[in-house]
Amino acid sequence: MMTSSLLSGFTSFTNTIASPATLSDSSGGHGGAADHLVEMVSHIGTGPKWVLLIVFLPLVGFVLNAIYAAIGNKSKLPAWTTIALLAVAFVTTLTMFLQYEGTPYTVHAFDWLNLHYGEKSFVANFSFYVDKLTILWMLFVTGLATLIALYASEYMSHDIGTGYCRFYAAFGLFVFSMSCLVMGDNLLMLYLGWEGVGLCSYLLIGYFYKKPSAVAAAKKAFIVNRIGDLGLALGVYLTFVHFGTVEYAALFQNETLHSYINAAAIGDFSHIPAEAQWIALFLMVGAFGKSAQFPLYVWLPDAMEGPTPVSALIHAATMVTAGVYLIARFYPIFLVSEHALPIVAWIGTITALLAATIGMAQFDIKRIMAYSTVSQLGYMFAALGVLSTTGAAFHVLTHAFFKALLFLACGAVMHGFAGQLDLRKLSGVSWMKGWGIVGVTMLVGCMNLAGLPYITSGFYSKDMILAEAFITPGYRVIGWILVVTAILTAYYTFRVYFRVFLGPQHAEPGDEHSDHDDDHSHSEDHHHDAGQHGDHHSDHFHPHAPGWAVNTVLIILAACSMLAISLAYIDKAEHHGWVGSMVAESTASFHSPYAEEAHHAHVEHTTAHAVAGPVGTLAPSTVFGMDAHTALILISGFGAIFGVLAAAYFHGPKGWQGLFIGGRTEADKCRMDGVAKRMGPIPRLAENKWFVDEIYAMIFVKPLRVISHIFHWIDKLLLDGIVNLFGFLPRVFAWIIRPSQSGVLQGYAVSMAGGLVILLFVVIVVVMRSGGAA
Amino acid sequence: MSSDTLMLIVLMVVPLIAAMRIALSKNPKTGYGTALATSIAMLLPALKLLDGFDFSKGESAQFAYSISWVESLGLNFSIGMDSVSLLLILLSVLLGPIVVLASKTAITKDKRMYYAWLMVLQAAMVGVFAAQDLLLFYICFEFTLLPMFVLIRKFGSTNRVAASIKFFLYTFTGSMMTLAGMVYIVWFVAQPDQLGHWTLDIATLTQYAANMTLGEQAWVLAAMLAGFAVKVPLFPFHTWLPLAHTEAPTAGSVILAGVLLKLGTYGIYRFAIPFAPTAFFEFAPEIAVLSIIGIIYAGLICWVQTDIKKLVAYSSVSHLGFCVLGLAALNVTGFSGSILYMLSHGLSTGGLFLMIGFMYERYHTRDMNVVGGLASKMPIWATFMVFFAMASVGLPGLNGFPSEVLCLISAFQSNAAWSVAGEPGAWGSSLGPWFAFFAGTGMVIAAMYLLFMVGKICFGPLKEPEDHHAHDELPTDLNGREIMTLVPLAIGCIYFGLQPTTLLDTVSSQVNNTVRIVEQANGLESSAPRIEHTTDLHSNDGHEGASHD
Repeated sequence: MMTSSLLSGFTSFTNTIASPATLSDSSGGHGGAADHLVEMVSHIGTGPKWVLLIVFLPLVGFVLNAIYAAIGNKSKLPAWTTIALLAVAFVTTLTMFLQYEGTPYTVHAFDWLNLHYGEKSFVANFSFYVDKLTILWMLFVTGLATLIALYASEYMSHDIGTGYCRFYAAFGLFVFSMSCLVMGDNLLMLYLGWEGVGLCSYLLIGYFYKKPSAVAAAKKAFIVNRIGDLGLALGVYLTFVHFGTVEYAALFQNETLHSYINAAAIGDFSHIPAEAQWIALFLMVGAFGKSAQFPLYVWLPDAMEGPTPVSALIHAATMVTAGVYLIARFYPIFLVSEHALPIVAWIGTITALLAATIGMAQFDIKRIMAYSTVSQLGYMFAALGVLSTTGAAFHVLTHAFFKALLFLACGAVMHGFAGQLDLRKLSGVSWMKGWGIVGVTMLVGCMNLAGLPYITSGFYSKDMILAEAFITPGYRVIGWILVVTAILTAYYTFRVYFRVFLGPQHAEPGDEHSDHDDDHSHSEDHHHDAGQHGDHHSDHFHPHAPGWAVNTVLIILAACSMLAISLAYIDKAEHHGWVGSMVAESTASFHSPYAEEAHHAHVEHTTAHAVAGPVGTLAPSTVFGMDAHTALILISGFGAIFGVLAAAYFHGPKGWQGLFIGGRTEADKCRMDGVAKRMGPIPRLAENKWFVDEIYAMIFVKPLRVISHIFHWIDKLLLDGIVNLFGFLPRVFAWIIRPSQSGVLQGYAVSMAGGLVILLFVVIVVVMRSGGAA
Repeated sequence: MSSDTLMLIVLMVVPLIAAMRIALSKNPKTGYGTALATSIAMLLPALKLLDGFDFSKGESAQFAYSISWVESLGLNFSIGMDSVSLLLILLSVLLGPIVVLASKTAITKDKRMYYAWLMVLQAAMVGVFAAQDLLLFYICFEFTLLPMFVLIRKFGSTNRVAASIKFFLYTFTGSMMTLAGMVYIVWFVAQPDQLGHWTLDIATLTQYAANMTLGEQAWVLAAMLAGFAVKVPLFPFHTWLPLAHTEAPTAGSVILAGVLLKLGTYGIYRFAIPFAPTAFFEFAPEIAVLSIIGIIYAGLICWVQTDIKKLVAYSSVSHLGFCVLGLAALNVTGFSGSILYMLSHGLSTGGLFLMIGFMYERYHTRDMNVVGGLASKMPIWATFMVFFAMASVGLPGLNGFPSEVLCLISAFQSNAAWSVAGEPGAWGSSLGPWFAFFAGTGMVIAAMYLLFMVGKICFGPLKEPEDHHAHDELPTDLNGREIMTLVPLAIGCIYFGLQPTTLLDTVSSQVNNTVRIVEQANGLESSAPRIEHTTDLHSNDGHEGASHD
């Protein structure tokens, strides 16, 4: 009876749970775990050509902005061009969504890299693959890109005539690359987008290119990403070498892959060749790089050197979710690898906790948001690891909204207070004139990130991940770590809110304007976020309240964050929400048998049978004797509230805003200071990011530089020295036979010729000898 | 002789005439105009050749023509081109006007000498790729040395004398050994039990060369590699290159990187592999290891350079490692990738050398500790710099990427254990995933040193030499002439990046032909499709059968 209630996709999986006797039947042949995938990709059609607009309109934006830059445009034209093109791309994406008829399709633009040899060929074209996972991702990519382009039109307006065109050119190129990444129909297109977004990230982090810190951060981002890219590239090559194709359609239709999936479903990894299992491990490294997971997360916090809209779009909402997309898209490949998903789960969990601890001790609000992004991405990876692609995708979506919102709100503060980001130097921003909208929307963002129960979308998506972690056997520890992290998240999020947005009004402007006045030689073309305030040098600092574009975008994003709650209730019964229904019609579709178990509360079945699977042993999916979902709603709900209250106690202002427990009366003094003193070196360590950067520099960068220098000396002295010695010998020789002769070159030439005749003779003799002997 | 054949001869003879015209002119200022006109005019016959070429028979020598010299010894001058030589000739001809344009303000004295030798070099480069017999090949091969020697020695920077001598002697010594190997093959084929009479025709020699024993082939291979590996340059025979590149004038560096280094890989592909197929198969892993060491070692050296030109010079050593790796894989993917790499490296590294030349003309230094942060002063220059650096990094969508992908895949594939079930035999030589992995680290290293370079020279606070004063003739940023030299290269980078298939199709039959030679010699089950219209290789006058109709 249990089996009948399950979706067709995993009948054989559950059959084996019910009766291990059927194990041998389902391991061979077609029937089985791969059925769902087979069904999904069996009728891939050809899509309408207008889908190409989504990809190529942003590219048109890039080209136009490059032309504007070349002709020296000094207006807001680049912004409006980009916004218009991206808006059309978004509408086209919506149309694509509404007209999608349930079968994936491909759209061909032009041939790219085709190599035919024998009967085989390597084919990778500029073609696009559309299924519901593609649509899900493209909806928020194009939507958020449009909104953030609008925000940036105001935010970047100080740079009109200098960097404005360059900014929007890179912006357009980014959206193009991201579209290629998400929509490409083969791994090489994905790789093109992958590196393309990396390039744009590089160009935009280094936007203020005169700042050495920005240049260093940009370089670090690109190089750390390249390490991941190497993994991805090897994964791509290995996919081709093993499966003979890099095209999604052919790959997912590959019967060898299906047989692997069936074998993996019953935990039989011994019949899956090692190289097939390696593919997932390689791809995983790529995902860790792009999505800033431990140990490759170090670039993301530094990437905050870029303009804030860039941080919001690229380094919070879209690009960094590419790793999640990669694993979700290639879930069948990951399922056939014995160790890949457990590693993904643990890496995600470690990253989530580590980044949250660092985030708690930072004072730069943008960095706090950056670490929170790393931490939330950790949740998504944990979700993928504990077999919940839906949870991961849902969290990607809600996180995209609320984290973009948080960054943009922080950006408005930074913009208004001359680059000030230190939470010790800002207080009571909500109460300042013209800052009401920023204050309210920031609160919405913080509530979502903290995951306050029932009233925020962040709660639903996080809860889905936590529940899945508790349900899936072997991952309960991960579940608990993630619960602790959720409490920490609520704490550090509201630490920012209580200190910056509530309490007594106080603001010290950032150092950007003093920079401006002190150094006149650089002031004409000095780029910074808040150049307008350069002339304020008095004690009366007037923050520059955001204008309509910023406020509009903040309101829309806040509304989206709240409206996303409804997504949890659409299609709830069958797919756990709208996102689940989207994921179900894609290659990421995977119905965790454990989740089904919990969902249908047939606990008694699972207790009886233990199955060794990709995830270990099946165990009862109850927590504290309750159904896991119910239990987790309680645990994570109370956890979030506890975290907020802790933040209120330690950082909250006196009065109702501090929920009656806060005691802060000044901008920079709070109860936490006293507690931190008693915690020994821990706060200092966390503030210094556990010295991970320094450790990397010591272990990797410095030794590599030393080796490089050694190589350089070897090259100069040893290798070239030997060559010089050979060059010197003939000269000596020439000098002996003709002591009084002429110029150096002639001496060389004569002796070389003589030497070579001898050499020639020797070669021929030796060759003839060896020829004769053989 | 067809009109297309005539075009091929024009490509070789007209630059020589122009060189003579420049050298004999009484007016010391004539050089630039004549050279520019000639090099631009040469684009036309080159395009005519491209138009007339029958790509379906890309493996055979087309437009062939032969002049008998000493018949009894088989000495001919025969020319012709297959698809691989066609592409390399096109690259050489395309670089012609670019380097002339780039030299306008850089060369201020001895213009006649400079442009005359540049024209000689042009002719020699076409000749070396068009040669269909060993004599002409060898003459042209050596004749590329002399003009380059003069260009470096007369027009280079401070350390030019040492650089030119080392360049000349090192490559000359190597090519003497190549000559020894070639002489042995000619002697071997002339034996009564082989062909029985003397011939220098490359196609004929290829046919009999496989009859040599493994021992003989090994020695022939060693002799050939002695010359070609120095030319490529393959680790550890690369030490002449950084010096020569650094000291050479811009035009010299561009031609050196763009074409002359490719003579090494072309030589390996055209001679070392077909003449010693069994030995090459045997030693492919060792050769691949050398190329991988080169990729990593030279890449790391790049990372600690402060002289920007030296950095780019070492990057050539690193990049060409991929090219040789593809050749060592001995399969279709590898050969295709390698040929693609030869062409695309010429565009992106040529571009980088031009950029450095333009900067040098303005600041007279190559030291990145002295000059830097130029983006704020020279935005157009910086844009092109970032572009060519990204092309060199191997960013997908630009030219470096497709070739790098194919070279790495070829290393993966080149191992029976890791290939797809059902693929015939051991696919190529016995490399494998480890080769691909270690070569792949070159991707990361390339990003490290190129971004290090871009970060220093383009970004950061503006740094200029203290005694810097503006150039009389040149504006702060690039002028129209300079941009004109870069645009064709940039277009080429994008075209190669997005349409590599066109090029791969062009060389497809040629590559399959070479793979078949290797497979037959090593008794491997053939993986390449048989081509119906293979050239009749059996007689000395095979080139006539192959001529274009």
